[in-house]
Amino acid sequence: MLKFILKRLLVMIPVLLGVTFIVFSMMYITDGDPARMMLGDLATDEEVEALREDMGLNDPFFTRYFNYLGDLLHGDLGTSYSTRQPVSTAIMERLPATIKLAFFSCLFAIVIGVPIGIISAVRQYSIIDSISRIVSLIGISLPNFWLALLLMLLFSVQLGWLPPSGLYGPEYYIMPVISISAVSLATFARTTRSSMLEVIRQDYIRTARAKGQTEWVVVTKHALRNALIPIITIVGVQFATALGGAVVNEQIFGISGLGKLMVDSIKARDFPVVQGGVLVIAIMFSFLNLFIDVLYAFVDPRIKSQYMRGSKKKKAVAASAAAGEAQE
Amino acid sequence: MSNNENLLSIRDLTIHYFTDDGVVKAVNGINLDIARGETLGLVGETGAGKTTTALGIMRLIPDPPGKIVGGEVIFDGTDLIKESEKKMRHHRGFDFSMIFQDPMTSLNPVLTVGDQIAEVIRLHDKVSRAEANKKAADMLELVGIPAERINEYPHQFSGGMKQRVVIAIALACNPQLIIADEPTTALDVTIQAQVLALMSELREKFGTAMLLITHDLGVVAEICDKVAIMYAGQILEYGTLEDIYNNVCHPYTKGLFGSLPSLNSRVKRLSPISGLMPDPANLPEGCPFHPRCPQKCEKCTVKEPPNVEVTPGHFVRCHLFDNGKEG
Repeated sequence: MLKFILKRLLVMIPVLLGVTFIVFSMMYITDGDPARMMLGDLATDEEVEALREDMGLNDPFFTRYFNYLGDLLHGDLGTSYSTRQPVSTAIMERLPATIKLAFFSCLFAIVIGVPIGIISAVRQYSIIDSISRIVSLIGISLPNFWLALLLMLLFSVQLGWLPPSGLYGPEYYIMPVISISAVSLATFARTTRSSMLEVIRQDYIRTARAKGQTEWVVVTKHALRNALIPIITIVGVQFATALGGAVVNEQIFGISGLGKLMVDSIKARDFPVVQGGVLVIAIMFSFLNLFIDVLYAFVDPRIKSQYMRGSKKKKAVAASAAAGEAQE
Repeated sequence: MSNNENLLSIRDLTIHYFTDDGVVKAVNGINLDIARGETLGLVGETGAGKTTTALGIMRLIPDPPGKIVGGEVIFDGTDLIKESEKKMRHHRGFDFSMIFQDPMTSLNPVLTVGDQIAEVIRLHDKVSRAEANKKAADMLELVGIPAERINEYPHQFSGGMKQRVVIAIALACNPQLIIADEPTTALDVTIQAQVLALMSELREKFGTAMLLITHDLGVVAEICDKVAIMYAGQILEYGTLEDIYNNVCHPYTKGLFGSLPSLNSRVKRLSPISGLMPDPANLPEGCPFHPRCPQKCEKCTVKEPPNVEVTPGHFVRCHLFDNGKEG
């Protein structure tokens, strides 16, 4: 297992290299001159040119890229063009809010969406099933910024129950979490439903019933664990969706998170901050996916034995098992 | 009609599936009796309603679309059709249990075989987890699997070994009746013989009655006391092993034997029954077998044949026998 994790960590290196290259190239071809943005319209062309030279903006593409990579290896994400603050500091200031938002949204989506999907599957074609399917379909179709605005109109403007912006206490989370998680929640409900429907028709479910097992245990112990693989798979995707949703919703709810930082930085052509932000998100995402792959092994023993296949000890056991079969 | 020596009496059991394309008449009023310790072979082609009958006894028909429309299933004096779901759960796995057709899919892939055997023990016997695991290990040994493999998962076992595990689950609570639904169909021939031998050995050891569902007449001859021939949801012929094998009456049963290779007679070609099993959603009028029957008469196409007792205990559902004994 440890070997598998190490292997996956090694694979992460080229992935992250690729991410830096793509983002760097995108920033390179984006129009807009950071030096001009910093100095303002009143500065002369000579002043701008001097600053460009100073910032290394006039160097060839690969020189700039490798300089950037070199700094990265020293743990230096660069300095913000606009605030002159180290990028890492700027990101670390904003990151917790975004992670909290994405995490709570994902958690909310799982805690509500998965049980809805289970009930929907167990009571297929019932009224509960129909309602949950219609609501999920609506949930998937709604753009989250629109839902955010509607929620804000109702609960902040009309009713005055919830604070419209900021992130200063638990009640501030309610609206952003609901609007970010709507799509994920619906996706979890639908995936869980279809996965459970497939599993619940399997022979081993009938075996469990034939043992005299209660329907509750049949569903929660026998069916759910088998239905979990597709659900776990979409956790990764949904976390990415939640991060993306956080970017938009931070704008709407005036939350100073990573998303808002990135949007502001793109507007200001603050390339180092954008690059740093994307890299941090990519790293988070890679680790999350690794975590999910490890999680598979705990849910499904067949995947675990696949991960283990490298080690020789196991091979010997497998060989003796095969010999046992041959005797049969 | 049911007498006390019968462990299981099925009376006029009728099971239909209500689908969008119409009513599928899977089981149409069948009667069967199994005495304690006896083995009844339920033989028939694919789609004859054998598995539906078995699931009907267990009350595990997928509903919707399946429904037990009528009849009685009397097990040890109680009508299972009228039992509450809670009481049925106490019966299942304890009083009677089932061995399924395909061992590859009837074990839960994410639980160890030990857990799956121990589960049924813990459900019906009030024992601790450790005791249940101990008993599960004993059951594994009983079916010929080393007890140290108790913590392995189904994918680490071969098909034959998996079926042994399924048998261990079925026998774990020492039930009075085992329903074995084509237990060897999914296995290759050498393993088939071993599994069958194991089943009859254990059955004799514990005195368990068995309903063996199969389409293999050879298997029936080997281990059954009584035989029921099922076709399109009906029992066409029913009797002791000798009745069926030495005094074949129904043309369908004759057809089944005709499609078996024999060591004694030199035949160049087997003589299969022509045609196909009728669609159970659209059964023919009269005798369900008449479109394929070589001996059909006019009566067969209009009137359903009665159940005739040709010799005591040997029933045939055919117009050839409805006016007196066979000539």
